[in-house]
Order: sequence, then C-alpha cells, then structure tokens
Amino acid sequence: MKKLLSALAATTMFVSVAQAQSIKIGLSGPFTGGSASMGVSMRDGVKLAVTEINKAGGVLGKQIQLVERDDEARNELGVQIAQELINKEQVVANLGYINTGVALASQRFFQEAEIPVINNVATGTLIAKQFVAPDHKANYIFRTSANDAIQSAMIVDEAIVRRGFKAPAILADSTNYGQLGRADLVKALEAKGVKPVAEEKFNIGDTDMTAQLLRAKNANADVILTYGIGPELAQIANGMAKLGWKLPLIGSWTLSMATFIDNAGANGDGAEMPQTFIQLPTTPKRKAFIEAYQAAYKVDRFPSPVSAAQGYDSVYLLAAAITQAKSTDGRKIREALENLQTKVEGVVTVYDHPFSATDHEAITNNIPVFGIVKAGRVEIAHPEDIAGDKALRVKAK
Amino acid sequence: MPVRTLLTLAGIVGIALFPFLATSPYYLHLVVVIAIFSIVTIGLDIVFGYTGEVSIGHAALMGIGGYTAGVLSFQLGIGFWPSLPLGIAISAAFGALLALPALRVTGPYLAMVTLAFGTIVQILINEMTFLTNGPLGIALKKPLFVDLRDWGDTIPFLDMSAARMRDMEFYFVVMAALLLTLVVVNRLLASRYGRAFEALRDSPIASDCMGVSVYRHKVLAFVLSSGLAGLAGVLFAYSEQYIAPNNFSFELSIQFLLAVTMGGRKSRVGPMLGSAIVVYLPNLLADIDQFRVVAGGIAAIAVVVGGIAMLRKPEDRARIAIPVALCVGFFAFSLVLQRITDFKLTVFGMMILFVVYYLPDGIFGFLRQTVAQFRPGWVHLHATIDAAGAQAWTATPPAIAEGKPLLEVGSVVMQFGGLRALDRVDLTVMPGTIHGLIGPNGSGKSTMMNVLTGIYIPTGGSVLFQGASIAGHKSPEIAAAGIARTFQNVQLFAELTLIENIMVGLHHRYRGSVAGVALGVPAARAEEADARARAGSLLRFVGLQDQANEEARNLPYGKQRLLEIARALALDPKLLLLDEPAAGLTAPDIKELMIIIRRVRDEGITVVLIEHHMDVVMNLCDIVTVLDFGQKIAEGRPAEVQADERVIAAYLGGSHAEAA
Amino acid sequence: MEILAQLIVSGIAVGMIYGVIAFGYQLTFATSKTLNFGQGEALMLGSLVGLTAVTITGYWLMLPIVLAFGLIQGSVVEWLGVRQAIKTKSEAGWIMATIALGIIFKNLAENIWGRDALKFPSPLPEAPLSFMGVNVLPMEIVIVFGALGLMLLVELFNRRSIYGKAVVATANDRDAAGLMGINTSLVITFSYALSSMTAAFAGVLVAPVTLTGASMGGALGLKAFAVAIIGGLSSGMGVVVGGLILGITETMTGYYISTGYKDVPGLVLLLLVLSFKPSGLFGKATIKKV
Repeated sequence: MKKLLSALAATTMFVSVAQAQSIKIGLSGPFTGGSASMGVSMRDGVKLAVTEINKAGGVLGKQIQLVERDDEARNELGVQIAQELINKEQVVANLGYINTGVALASQRFFQEAEIPVINNVATGTLIAKQFVAPDHKANYIFRTSANDAIQSAMIVDEAIVRRGFKAPAILADSTNYGQLGRADLVKALEAKGVKPVAEEKFNIGDTDMTAQLLRAKNANADVILTYGIGPELAQIANGMAKLGWKLPLIGSWTLSMATFIDNAGANGDGAEMPQTFIQLPTTPKRKAFIEAYQAAYKVDRFPSPVSAAQGYDSVYLLAAAITQAKSTDGRKIREALENLQTKVEGVVTVYDHPFSATDHEAITNNIPVFGIVKAGRVEIAHPEDIAGDKALRVKAK
Repeated sequence: MPVRTLLTLAGIVGIALFPFLATSPYYLHLVVVIAIFSIVTIGLDIVFGYTGEVSIGHAALMGIGGYTAGVLSFQLGIGFWPSLPLGIAISAAFGALLALPALRVTGPYLAMVTLAFGTIVQILINEMTFLTNGPLGIALKKPLFVDLRDWGDTIPFLDMSAARMRDMEFYFVVMAALLLTLVVVNRLLASRYGRAFEALRDSPIASDCMGVSVYRHKVLAFVLSSGLAGLAGVLFAYSEQYIAPNNFSFELSIQFLLAVTMGGRKSRVGPMLGSAIVVYLPNLLADIDQFRVVAGGIAAIAVVVGGIAMLRKPEDRARIAIPVALCVGFFAFSLVLQRITDFKLTVFGMMILFVVYYLPDGIFGFLRQTVAQFRPGWVHLHATIDAAGAQAWTATPPAIAEGKPLLEVGSVVMQFGGLRALDRVDLTVMPGTIHGLIGPNGSGKSTMMNVLTGIYIPTGGSVLFQGASIAGHKSPEIAAAGIARTFQNVQLFAELTLIENIMVGLHHRYRGSVAGVALGVPAARAEEADARARAGSLLRFVGLQDQANEEARNLPYGKQRLLEIARALALDPKLLLLDEPAAGLTAPDIKELMIIIRRVRDEGITVVLIEHHMDVVMNLCDIVTVLDFGQKIAEGRPAEVQADERVIAAYLGGSHAEAA
Repeated sequence: MEILAQLIVSGIAVGMIYGVIAFGYQLTFATSKTLNFGQGEALMLGSLVGLTAVTITGYWLMLPIVLAFGLIQGSVVEWLGVRQAIKTKSEAGWIMATIALGIIFKNLAENIWGRDALKFPSPLPEAPLSFMGVNVLPMEIVIVFGALGLMLLVELFNRRSIYGKAVVATANDRDAAGLMGINTSLVITFSYALSSMTAAFAGVLVAPVTLTGASMGGALGLKAFAVAIIGGLSSGMGVVVGGLILGITETMTGYYISTGYKDVPGLVLLLLVLSFKPSGLFGKATIKKV
C-alpha cells in the first residue's frame, strides 16, 4: 500500500514537471447531455489537430496540453469551469463553447483575466460582441463558426426568396441560443417584409410538440423555421408526422446533428440548414481531414461534422497566433490573432487575416452553404453552390 | 480550558487568517462556497437530522433567495444589504407554504412535496422571463463594501486591487454570516425548541400529549431552515456573480442531503464537514490522479479502523469486513478507470448508500463515538443540567369548582369500521378522586384514554371537561386544557435525558418567542432557568433526581414509568390519566408507585387509573368503573365491584370463582 | 373542438403511463409503507433493455425479457435499498437509498447506452389513425390498453391467488401476517419486483411514442408521484383516474397556456390534494393505534 501511494506521488510529481514544459489550453464544452454530440465532435476535432501539431514539434518547442472540462451545456457549470481554468489550471487560452448561453455566462471571466477565447461552435450573434469599445479596451473573444445573424439571414433567404414560402412559423428552444436565434430570425424576416405567423417555444428535454405544432397549423403556416438542437428537433419532425401534417423544415445548422437525423428517421429527410462544412471530400484538405478523423475515432459518419471541422481549425489558428506572438501572454496572443500574418489552411476555409481589432468573426456570410438531410446523411442542397471554384469559399476582403 | 472552546477558538483564528494565506482566488472562492453551503446544510440538519423529515427542495429554497437578490438587482437595481433580509423572508414564506400542507400527515409526503416544489420553482424561474430573465440568467456584481484605497494608496502586505479587495471582503461577510448562523442555531437547539424537535421524533404521540404540537414544531423547523437557505441563496448569487435556473437543481438538493448525512447529523461540525466534501468532490473527480490518491487514503483508513474494530470484537468480523472490502474495492476501481467524470454520479450514489448503511451518524458522529470510547469526558451529547438544589415539587392548585364533575363522558361511542370499541359509555369523574377503570383486555379502556386525550375522535356521544366539550379536539389542545396521561407502552423521549424529558412537559410555561431565544434575551434565559428548577423538583418528587442527566432509554423499566408520571405532572394538569402504570413492575416498585399516586391526589390532582393489578385498584381507588366489550357493566366502590357477579363473569368467562 | 379532442386523446395516453408508474408506487407502499424514489429509472432501464433486446429477439419476444428484467431489478432495489431501512425503521434511510440507486442506475445507463435520446422501434405502423379529425397513433391505443390490462392482471392476482392474498395480508398487518407463517420479507421483495416490472413494461410501452434515453425516467417518476398522491396511495382505481386527470390537464395547459408551464398544474394539484385530502381522492384514511 505504501509503495502504491509513493508511486502515485511520484507520478503526480512527474506529471507536474512535464506540465512545465507544455502549453496549457482549456477545452470546455458539453460532453454529456443533449448537446454532447456537438461537444464530443468539437473535442475530437481539436484533439486531432493537437495531435498533429504536437507530432510536428508542438508550438514554440513545447507540447500542447489540453485541459478538458465538461460543462454539460449548463451556464452555471461553464462559469465554475471558467474560474477553475483561469485560477487553478492557468490556461493560456480557451477553446470551446458549444452553447450560446454557456459562452455568454462564462466568457467574461476570460475577458477580465485577459485570456483569449476562440469560440469554435457557439453561434449566438452577441458572443463576439459582448465586450467591445468604448466600454472595453480590447476584445478577447474570437469566433470560427458562422454566427446567427449570418445563419438567420441565410435561412430567411432560402425559405422566402429561393423557395417562395410566405407564412413561416418559428419553433425555437428556450435557451439563450434558441431565443436569441429566434430574435435574429424575426429581424431577418422583417428585412424581407414578412412576419412569422407563429412563434413557439419548447424546453430542452421536451418530447411532445403537439401543442406548438397545432398552433402553427391553426395559423396556416407553410414552412417551419427552427432554432434548437438535435433531440428536440427530431421530435418536431416526428410530431408533424404524427399529426399527419408535414411541412418543410429549414433551420439553423444543428439540423445536421446525428441525433436529429437518427431520431427523426425518414421524417427528417428534406430538412435544410446552413453548413460551414459538409462531410464530403470536396477539397484535398477536407478529404484528408475526413479520413484522419474516421481513422482516429473509428466512425463513418461524424456526429457533428461542423463542430469537428471548426474545432480543428480553431487549434491551428491559435497555434499560428502563439507562434507569431512568440509568447503565451494573453495580450500578445490576442494582438497576434488580430493581425495574423501567415495564411492558415483550415478545413472550413483558408484563413487569410481572419480577424482584426474590430472584427473577431472568421466566417462571413458567403462561406456557409445549404446542406440537406437525405437518407441518413447530410448532402449538399444546391450542388451549384460548390461547383468548381466555389468549393472553397473564403472570407470576403 | 474545555476542548470544545479551544477548538472553536482555533477555528475562528483559522478563518480570520485563511484569506491572507491562500493567494489563489480559486481556493478562496471554494472556501466561500463551502461556507455558504454550510449555512444551508446546518439549516437542513434541523429538519432532517433533528425532526427526521427528508427535504429534497432545499436547493429550490436557496434558489428563491438567490433569485430574490438577482431580481432585485436586475429589475430594481437594489443591492446586497436590502436583499439579505428580503431573501430570508421570502424563502421562509415559501417554506411555510410547503410545510403547512405537507407535514399534516406522517409519511414520505414532505419528500415528495419538496421534490415537486423543486421542479416547479425551476420551471417557473425558467418561464417567467419577464421577471427572472429565464434561461439567460442574471449577472450580479460582487459589492465592494469598503474601499481601502480611500485610506492610502498602499498598505503593506495587502493586495489592493479592486478584484482582490472584493473577494476578501466578501469572504469575511460570508464568514460572519456563517458564525451568526452557528450562534443562532446553537441557541435554538439548546433551548426548548431543540428538545421539542428531538421529542417529536422519539415519540410523536407523547409529544402531542405533552402539549408540544408535532405539526407546529415540524413546520417551525422547516421555516427556520428555509430562511437559512434563503440567506445562503443571496450570498451565493453575489459570490458567483451569475445565477441561472439550473443552478438550483434536484442534484444540488441531493448534495445537501448527502452533506448532512455524510458529515454527521445533529451537529454543527457535521454539516460543515459534509459541505466541504460535497463542494470539493467535483474538483476531485475531474482529476483522476488526485482521486486515486484520495481513494487510496480512504481505503487505508478503512483498513486501519476496520482492523482495530475486528481485533476488539472478533465476533463481528464478517460484518466489519464488508465496508472495508468496499473501500478497498473502490480504490481498485479507481485505478482501473481512466476517466472518473463519467461515473461522477455513480460515485455519488454509492457514497449515499455507504453512508446510509455504515455511517448512519456520519463521519463526525463516527468520530464522536470513537472519541467517546477513549475520552468520554470530551464528548457532550447533552448539556449537563444541575438539578441538585431543586426544591420539593408542589402542584399549582388547579382552579376547579367544588362539587361539579371534572370529567363527564356521555354515551360515548367509538367505532372502527365494524367494531364498536366503546358502546355508549357514561363516565363521571369527580374532582379530587382516584377513579379506577378496569376490565378484561379489549374492553375499551385504552380506547377511552385515547378518546379523552384527542388521539381518537369519538364517533358519537359527548366528552365534557370542566363543562366544555373536548371531543374531537387535538391532543396538544387537550393537554393545554389540563389533561395529562401516561402510556401503556412507555412513550419516553428515549434519546433525551431524564430532566430534558420533563422539560418538554414544561413547554406550556414559556411565554417567550423564537426570536427571543435566538437573540438570547435575558427573559428567555430566565424562563429556561425556571424550567430547569421545576423539572429538578419533579424528578425529586419521583425519586429520580440522581439520574437527571442519564438518557431516558438507559433507565430500568420500572423507573421509566415513574419518569413518565413526572413528565405528565409537568403539565400542571387538573386530571392525570394513568394507563397501566403498574404493568411489569416488581412488588417494591408497585409500593413506591402507590405512594406517588396518593401524593399526586393529595396535591389536588384528580387521577383516572387503568390497571390490571387488582390490589393496586382496591387500595388506591375511591370509585371503580368496569368495562367489558366496550360497555360499562358495573360501577361503584372497589369492594362492591369486586363482588359483582357480572364483573367476575367478565374476567373469568362465566363460572364464579374468587377475584384475584 | 377538434383540437380539444386531440388534446384529450393525447392526454389520455400520457396519463395512462403516469398511472402505471403510480400503480407501482402503490404496490410497494401497500406492503411496506415505502416506495421507490427511483421508479422512473426502473422505467428507463426497462425501455433501454428492451431496446437492446429488440435487436436480438424482435419485438414480441422482447416483452418477457423486459418483464423478467423488471422483476430482478425490483428485487435488487429492495435488497440493497429498502430492506435495511425497514429493519431499522428509518424513514430517511429508504428514501435516500432508493434515490441513490436511481442516481446510480441512471449514470450506469448513460455509460452503457450513451446520453443521447434513442429511437425505439414501434411494433405497429407509425402512421396515425384518424377518428373524426383526431389523430391517434396506434401505439397510443396500445399504451392505454396495455397499461389497463397490466393493472387489471395484478389486481386480479392480488384478489384471487394465494400469493396475492399473502400480499394483501402483509399490507394490512405485517406482524400478524408474519405470525400466520407468511414470509413478510419475501412478500415485500415480491411487491418491489412487481412494481419494477410494471414500470419496465410501461417503459417499453411509452418508448416508441417518445424517445428513449437515460434521462427519460426523472420527470416521469415525479409526475407519477403527483398521480399517486392525487389518486391515493392505497387505491388501484385511484391511480388510473389520477393519471387521466394529470395527463389531460397537462396537454390542455400546454396548448392553452404555454408548453413551458405544462408540468406546473400537476405539481400544484399535488400540493392542493395534500392540503385538503391527504389520503387522495380515492384513498382511505388510516387509523392510528396507540
């Protein structure tokens, strides 16, 4: 027993010595619960990138060490984790946030501590603008996903303009994500001179959407616009089938989650959503990424392809910034990110000066394309979107 | 200096120095959260540890306090200090709302209701976005109470950054709240309220019959603990600087319960210890190496403690081996797993099961028992009350009209389904007499007692005490009117001491309020001293004054009955009902009993006596009523009744023979 | 009118599920004055075990497997959680222990089957049937009749068979039953086994309509509390009526007020019934004996 304890003590000491030679990066997201498939995919994408970088010698000669924490999609856990990562683990940067609410609640601790956060999945528009001038001297929050202002404009464009619907009903969940997204949708519709005929809310964990759907039906809706996550979205699709009243589903990117596709089954076919990344080998880099991911995690279809790709890219961006800054000081990393000199070839896009002092969004509205659910997978909705050159879409200058 | 005072002083010094030693804000914050949780769990201990009711809603009550602070800040811009009393008051109000219906009935209803309440509160906070901002949560700012920079730019060895000052000041504010909680709760539990909580748990029926309403006190306990939870909630909101509906979930309520059970019930240290474990646990589980070290430590302790226990009691070897094996197995399990966070809740559940089975008194309780074995002087489970100088007891002369019956039972019927336990029985008891009530088993004697003391509501007929009807009144009311009783199966408050048992009967003499006790006002202290003196004199009356500080369950059987009588006399009754007081007593004990009963009558108290010992009945009673199958079959002087043929037939079943 | 009818029909189906779970509470409360705070998890395990079994044996053969599993799971709960507490007459003990077991089962289920919601194959076609403008899933009809059928069977068992009589005897007076030679401890174990079996069966019934997953048990178990209290913990008939009341109130609140508040009326009803008629709408008040 004593030997075991001293062995353990020695291991702990060794581990802490090893830590001094590494760069600690926080990784927080939901690895359990309804959002887990996004969190796990993001984590796996991040880990894939970190493994590649570490194999190539690491950053500034040191290995990257990820400090993972599961926030369970709960705002209050995110807050606790942020404090732990900053004060106890002393990370140099944080990757993560899947859920808008968790991001909004937790980021400010990193902002106060002047430690950069790269949001690689959360899409709430406010996220990258939570701390802007003149109230704040510098903004430490960056993003590599397509924010909801972009997505809602795309959704409205697809539904109203491209497909000609006139009476949209909005079904959104009660989280920050759902409600802020709903507000974005309403604004985008207004810009097209359209008012939603119904705006319905549901909670995470709800399985019965009959009431909301009945009200939408009563209002004579002709398309359902959604802002939610996988399991509940599936129940919307199933609920419509149960009522014998099937409308097209066009919604935010989460309609690509495996939990939606699997649980809705045939009822999910035809759902459309904006995607920064569709699991198709449309460029050599994407092909390599897909194969590497499949080999490393022994899956065929990614649980959440968008999360994996964006997570992967966020690591490379951060690594490039640390290398350029030649230091792990938060302020210097931020300045490097805002002024990235090297081009970073990511999965989603090629990043050329993705950020500036006033613009912390790496993705612009021309980058995502529409995906469509077909027979259990996400395919490209309008093949002309990625024909030829358009396969690789980059940020507009 | 007594050990306890030394430890308390050491604790206070430690608390004062800690923030200067802990430089990381993370650990300072952790200790603040532990203190806040301790406030909740000390309150929960009153409900769970003392009155024995399970509450799965304390997280919601805390949430109400927290959201009071949040809403006041968010909607009205009202800050920390006004939020404190409002948070306490609103949580206490919700506690009353819950407890009043749920505690009316015995059973797991409080658990179910608090569980439902917890869910409703979470839903309402989530949905009422106009008030609470719903799932988006509310952000608050930790206040800066005193800005030291007003007194100079730097003070040596103090970090003067605003963030650090905020953290330190808030730490001291929270610690002050915790100390205040400890003082108030200690005072309350050392007072008649603490005795009442223990009494209602040991014997709810006796408690009611002694005038200490079980219902009222359970509600009081719950409301007190709700107020404390509300206080903790306000502190929590400002400490975390962010609250969301999910903060105050079922999981948190379970953590509070675990903290109380694992730490140790009926103590102050126990809940604090439990809170520390519960707060630190997620940190521990996030780090597999640290977890293995701790699991290894626990296994080591278990092996050592178990080994010693097995050496002392070799016959218990198998029983002791199981928990030790479980601890070691747990350690092995932790070595095999790579990630323990996935199994966080399983670890949790297993801890609860382990505590329920093997550590029912919690870690602190276990420590106390162990220390008591080696140094009994260090452990005080009860306050030692000095009753040596007590004077002789005299009854307060009851105000009764002469010549009129004290108790008039008219044609009372007690029906249980198809069975008539009392069939139109008339009973008249004159003041100043000893009235016997006899009959074969099942004749309705105890039923009559239960009707008279409010345990049963009579199906028909009238019961008049001093001319006023008491039929259908509740037991505490009847006790207050002046009827006291003892029980066929002794219903003592087993875990209270002799003198504490009697002091429960003296509750009716107190005029002060909860607030008075909490603040420790002189009037409250005087009442307590008065009660102690009187209890001492009652003990002297039955000859038990030398064992005043023994636990009642340690008394020999015969003495227990005497104690019950003394306790009943504490009510200053006009009528004393004795239910088979001589059952199971030896001959010398019976002689003593009879002397006492005579003296009671001499003090002006009327006695109704159910007995099977015929010599007791014949010698003591002025008048005897005989029941059989729920009907009165004879009444009169003892000698007349003894010779009555119907009585003989009832006892012996028909053929005549001499009475016992 | 159509909508009202639709809401009532959906409410009946959901209410029957609550009723079956509450029926399980009542089974154990009758014999031992205890109930399984982790009953929702028993339902969840039943449906997940059923999900795994269905892929091997097909739907109909899966049913006896799930029923057997429920019997075993209930016995385990009783043996681990309740037996000790009954012996020591500790009220808090069995409450905490059954909660703890529920937590453990849920966590283990999360690790075995994952944390996501899963789809349960339906034995019947998933297209809804239409009666006068109201859509009913064939599975919902099965739920109602399956639930009723199971409760009827258990009630018949209690009244007709000798084992059932032993259960009733223990419920009435445990000590007397023990003196008559009835192994009361076994009877209590058996009542827990039956209780989990009904919950497991309910799990398999409800899973095709909602999704199944490790977290499906909690809310259902809690709602069933409300049903058990509303209907009365001593009445089999009461839980059916209580379930219907709750189910329909829920769907109506969901539609006419807001789905967010759907869970509130049931829980408020629970508080109200406890305040005014604690033995429930159909229960009998018990008599204390001193």
